[in-house]
Amino acid sequence: MIMKKFAPSFIALCFGVSIAFSSSAQCDSIANTCAKRNMDPSFISDGQQYRALLVNSDETAEFHTTFYGGSIYRIAACSGMTDGNLVFTVFDSQHNVLFSNSSYQNAPYWDFKVKSTVDCIIDAQLNPTTNSGSGCAVILIGFKQQ
Amino acid sequence: MKLQTLPLVAGGIIITALLWSGCNNAKQNSQSPPAPKLDSNNSALIRLNNQIFSIPSPIQTALLIKKSGYSYNKDILNSATNYSRYDTKYKKALNLGIYGADLGYISLYDQTQDAISYLASVEKLASDIGISDMFNETLLKRFQANMGNHDSLLSMVSDAFRKSDAYFKDNRQGDVSALVLVGGWIESLYFATKANSQNNQKEVVRRIAEQKISVQNLIKMLSGYEGKPDYSDLIKKLTDLSNVFDNVEFVYNYVPPTTDEKNKTTNVNSTSDVKITPEQLKDISDKIAAIRNQITG
Repeated sequence: MIMKKFAPSFIALCFGVSIAFSSSAQCDSIANTCAKRNMDPSFISDGQQYRALLVNSDETAEFHTTFYGGSIYRIAACSGMTDGNLVFTVFDSQHNVLFSNSSYQNAPYWDFKVKSTVDCIIDAQLNPTTNSGSGCAVILIGFKQQ
Repeated sequence: MKLQTLPLVAGGIIITALLWSGCNNAKQNSQSPPAPKLDSNNSALIRLNNQIFSIPSPIQTALLIKKSGYSYNKDILNSATNYSRYDTKYKKALNLGIYGADLGYISLYDQTQDAISYLASVEKLASDIGISDMFNETLLKRFQANMGNHDSLLSMVSDAFRKSDAYFKDNRQGDVSALVLVGGWIESLYFATKANSQNNQKEVVRRIAEQKISVQNLIKMLSGYEGKPDYSDLIKKLTDLSNVFDNVEFVYNYVPPTTDEKNKTTNVNSTSDVKITPEQLKDISDKIAAIRNQITG
C-alpha cells in the first residue's frame, strides 16, 4: 500500500537526481574536450571553469571578467562535442561589441590582444541551427603576456 | 510488508531532503545582486554556475611583479609550514587559494626547493577538503620533472586549480570554490602592495588600482553565501576595502577594435587609465595586509 503510494514520487526523484548527475558529467566531458582542442598550451588557464545548462537557444549565459592590458587572452567556447555549437559575444563595460564569433563561423576559440585593462561581459548562447534542445555551455579563459 | 517497504521510503526521504537542500542552496545563490542586463530584449539571462563573476588569475599579477624587475622575496609568502594551523574547511579553502598564488610566484622565479615545499602544503590542504585527485603524486612527479621550465609549471598549477574549481561546482560546493578564488586574489593584491612598498613602480600601482572592479565582483560572488558562518565577516572586511577603492578613479575610452581573421585575433584598442593617491594606496595596503594576515595567522 505504502509502496504503491510512494513509488511514483520515488521514481520521479531518482530521475531528477540522475539528470542532475548526468548534466554535470556532460559539462565535465565538454570542458575537458574543449580544453584539449581549443586551449593552446602556450596559454595559462585562469584557474576557473565556466559553464551553464542552457534550456534552449533563446537563453543567454553571461559573465563579467577583467582583461589586463599587455596580455593576450584566449576564449574557448564549446557546447557538445563538435565545434561551432556556442555563439559568444564580448562587450566592454559600455556595452560596445568588441567581438562576436557569429561573424566568423562560430569559431570555437578566439584570441584578444589587450592594449589597456578593460572590464568585459561575455554573452553565450546555443547555436540555434545546431541545437534544437538544451545543452551545456562551457567557456574557458587562458592568458599569456604580450 | 511494511518492513519491506521501509528502505524504499527511507531512500525517498533522504533523496527528497538532498533535493530540498539543493533547492535551498539555489535560492541562497539567487539572492546575490542581479547582473546588469546588456539588452532589454534578453528575457532569459542565466548565471554561469549561479555566479556570474570571474576573478583574474593571481599568476597574472605575479608575472607583472617579475616583469617589473622585483627580485624574489620569500618573506612575502605565507610560510609553507602554516598549513597545520588551519582547522576548518573555511580556513583551508582560503589558504589553498593563498598557497596556490604563492606557488605561482615561486615557480615564476624558478625556486625549486620552495616550490616543492609549497606544493606539498597545497597537496595537504587539497586532500583535507576533498580534492586530493587534482594534487596527487603524479602532479608532484610531473612538477619535479619540469623544474626550471616555469611556463610548464604555471600551466600545471593553473590546470589543477581549474579542475578543482570544476569539482567544487559539480558537487554543490560553489562556496568552497569562491573561497579558493578569494584567497588567491587576496594574496596577489598583497604581493603587489608589498612589492610596491619596496620600490614604487607605475605599472604595479596601476595593477593595484585596477582591482577596484575585482573586489566588487568578489563581494557579489560571496554574497550568495552570506548566511554561512565566517562569510559575513569576510564580506564585511572586503566591503571596507572596496570603500577605499570607490574613490580610485578608473577612466575608460572606447576605441573600435580591429580583427585579424586569418590569425583569429582581435586587437582590443580601447584605452584606460587609473588615478590613485598615495593615501589611498597606503590605506589599501594596510587593509589587505590585515585581511590576509588574519587568514594566514
